[in-house]
Amino acid sequence: MNKKVKTDSPDVFIAEMGKIQEALPERIDANPQNVEKGLAKLVLTLVELIRKLLEKQAMRRVEGGSLTDEEIEKVGETLMKLENKMKELKEIFELKDEDLNINLGPLGDLM
Amino acid sequence: MKIYTYGVIDSNSGIEDSNKGIEGAHVHNIPYRDIGIAVSDLDERYKKNVNPDHILKHEEVAERLMERFTVLPMKFFTIFKNKEEILSMMSEYYDSFNENLDRLRGKLEFGLKVIWSGNTIKKRIAENNTGQGQSELLSNGSLAQNYVMEKFEKYKTDRQFKEEGHKYISTVNRFFSGFAVEEKLNMLKSEGLLLTASYLVEKAKQDDFKQAFERLKKNGPNDLKYLFSGPWPPYNFINLTKSEFKKV
Repeated sequence: MNKKVKTDSPDVFIAEMGKIQEALPERIDANPQNVEKGLAKLVLTLVELIRKLLEKQAMRRVEGGSLTDEEIEKVGETLMKLENKMKELKEIFELKDEDLNINLGPLGDLM
Repeated sequence: MKIYTYGVIDSNSGIEDSNKGIEGAHVHNIPYRDIGIAVSDLDERYKKNVNPDHILKHEEVAERLMERFTVLPMKFFTIFKNKEEILSMMSEYYDSFNENLDRLRGKLEFGLKVIWSGNTIKKRIAENNTGQGQSELLSNGSLAQNYVMEKFEKYKTDRQFKEEGHKYISTVNRFFSGFAVEEKLNMLKSEGLLLTASYLVEKAKQDDFKQAFERLKKNGPNDLKYLFSGPWPPYNFINLTKSEFKKV
């Protein structure tokens, strides 16, 4: 079967595929011991998705030049608070950034 | 008796494959109407114990089947409790299996992965962006304004990074246009992995397709690394839907 795979850089591909394997979303593994963490992971993944969408929308508005300095101030504060709150929650539930990944189908991975 | 499945095939007659399958078990066909599913019987007490040899064996059987039939390969390690469960599944998906078998008849899958220097390219874009446009706010702005501007720099960098990636991908993909009947392109699964592509190719054009890859290696962008594979059964081109009515 090996003759079916052609590359001049096998080591580079093995290393890169290893990285993706680590980034793949795991199942929500719920059992009596970790049910809270499992649920927190699910909820925080959704919150993170919404936070990213808000951030993207804000960036589009900054780019379009439709925000005044005051509005930029407000947006910045909101986004900063959201990000800090997320950091706190991730620490409480011992979750890392890559734990909050979700495959959005044709849009690709969230993280 | 548990049943290990390899793939749905466009034949309801015997397979007569003297080579063994998973756990050294005989490979045979369970017919359903005019199609069938290639399987091996496993002992009732069989416990899932996956190792690399199993993966290779599954693929080897699927490829042997591919030489003689149109195959819709099953996902690795799909095991049914008994024959009744298999027949029920076949009845549920019969129409869809037939549609897929018709669409994929005489076709094979090839894979292409492309690695680029994503890190370096992103750094270069970020450096070019710094000092341009809005960044003057960074010196006089408040904490919140600076935060927004930092995010904005990153947003611009990410977008340009993707645009750069798209340019490379369309250059690479041009080498294969005309040789594939369908393609699935996945961009930037990681910063370094620019492209993961699957191509559906007519058997008669497989040599042309392989030559297209040789041309890409020779004349394509020289800062890319390639991994080309195939022919495989068409794992990535099967679209299944349940039949509306059971036709047992």
